[in-house]
Amino acid sequence: MTAISETPILDVKGLAKQFSLHEQNEIVPSCSDVNMLAFPGQLAALLGPTGAGKSSVLKCIYRTYLPSEGTVHFQRADGEVVDLARISEQDMLQLRRSELGFVTQFLHCVPRRPAEEVVAEPLILRGMALADAVAQARELLRRLNVPERLWRLPPATFSGGEKQRVNLARGLIAKPRLLLLDEPTASLDKATTGQVIELLREFKQAGVAMVAIFHDPELVKALADTEYRLAPPQSLTHSTPAPEAMQS
Amino acid sequence: MKPILDVKGLTRIHGTECPSCLDMTGPEHNTNVCPACGSVVAAANVSFSLQPGEILGIMGESGSGKSTVVKTLYFDQAPSRGSAIFRDDDQSHELFNLNGAEQRWLRNHRFGMVYQNPNLGLNFGISAGGNIAERLLMNDLNHYGDIRRRASELLTRTDVMVSRMDESPKQFSGGMQQRVQIAKALATRPPLLYLDEVTTGLDLSVQARILDLILEIQHELGTAMIVVTHDLGVIRLLASRTLVMKYGRVIESGLTDQILEDPQQAYTQQLVASTL
Repeated sequence: MTAISETPILDVKGLAKQFSLHEQNEIVPSCSDVNMLAFPGQLAALLGPTGAGKSSVLKCIYRTYLPSEGTVHFQRADGEVVDLARISEQDMLQLRRSELGFVTQFLHCVPRRPAEEVVAEPLILRGMALADAVAQARELLRRLNVPERLWRLPPATFSGGEKQRVNLARGLIAKPRLLLLDEPTASLDKATTGQVIELLREFKQAGVAMVAIFHDPELVKALADTEYRLAPPQSLTHSTPAPEAMQS
Repeated sequence: MKPILDVKGLTRIHGTECPSCLDMTGPEHNTNVCPACGSVVAAANVSFSLQPGEILGIMGESGSGKSTVVKTLYFDQAPSRGSAIFRDDDQSHELFNLNGAEQRWLRNHRFGMVYQNPNLGLNFGISAGGNIAERLLMNDLNHYGDIRRRASELLTRTDVMVSRMDESPKQFSGGMQQRVQIAKALATRPPLLYLDEVTTGLDLSVQARILDLILEIQHELGTAMIVVTHDLGVIRLLASRTLVMKYGRVIESGLTDQILEDPQQAYTQQLVASTL
């Protein structure tokens, strides 16, 4: 494990997210007072019941959600520290292309494009030649047990597990400096999950910082260096987040 | 990297215009018709920038002023006020200070436009190939064989059967007409392309192929684009950033995924909720 004294690549302070729903005239709290750090070569796991706002924290870091309060300080490759909650949209797009990665449970990609090109896209956006990018994509698809006969087909018709593997490959291929993972193995079989653990360990060794939500306690045990437990936010109005007790 | 386009305070008012036009119209007044003088405020104080190779979406319902923005930038309409700086290689052009000849030159050489209505973008009196040749001729390509070769290249690229290049586009399907428009717009390899509701009214399968084509072009040529649409699916697929317009005003802007997943304004929330 890397020494904790190293400077964090990500420093989240006092992060809160509420949604103001105008139509319903309600404010729905999603997460509040979240403080966490991520270090190069380490994985920080976000734990907590459904409704605690784990996914919201990741989306706030990636700016898919606009944080309501708090700061999200990120140390760029050039050493400068920026607040992801406030940098310009252009700068955010640039960081997404070059330094940030986000793997969610669902595959959102351009339809009608072969899986191998979907996976290769982050490399192409960074300027790599198509043939080289696709070669790397194939290697990764093989490692994640995606059958070769599927590589040239668009992922729209793939099974849930196959789509998720394509999604993972796409998120991992460019080796971002900070990788956000939202239940990336939710519908994978045991063998593939094992492959993912091995891949993520390699990432840690290569110095990638990760913030992850894992449903499976085994993955937390196998990969997490730090654990952050989130509690459902205090309700601000009469509205309440979905009670987790019903599900677990 | 410097923006290829910097638009500031773009305003377009149809009518006599009085001092209260801007104060008494807009989303908070629920109208873009000035109650004092009856002028229509099509666009007011629209500002944004566009990076080279970037696709910017402008979203809103009909009458929101989204088409007005691209039409003024393409010199189809003159703005009432505002500025737009276009950076081309080392030169900067203040678009609305140029004379007519300079504007025509930019329009013919450096900008491309694809209209919702192919009637506006194509001359139905001449062949599909002729439409493209027209634009090539303006770019000093004068050799008949060269023009024909380049026109067939462009039509092939946009999936229009070259065997039909001598027919009038009048005889083409709606999707094919849009592809001829795209071929024509691309003829000069412009660094900036405006797309105004290009897939509206087409069959879903045809829409899909046009959108694929647009993405491929952006990948291959690095063309910067402004995509005007009321279709959130088109925005999601094409645009990295999005402006939302209502009654001539930009009411919200942001990264496209943020606009769609965490819209801030009541109107945008309604729009997203009604489509997804």
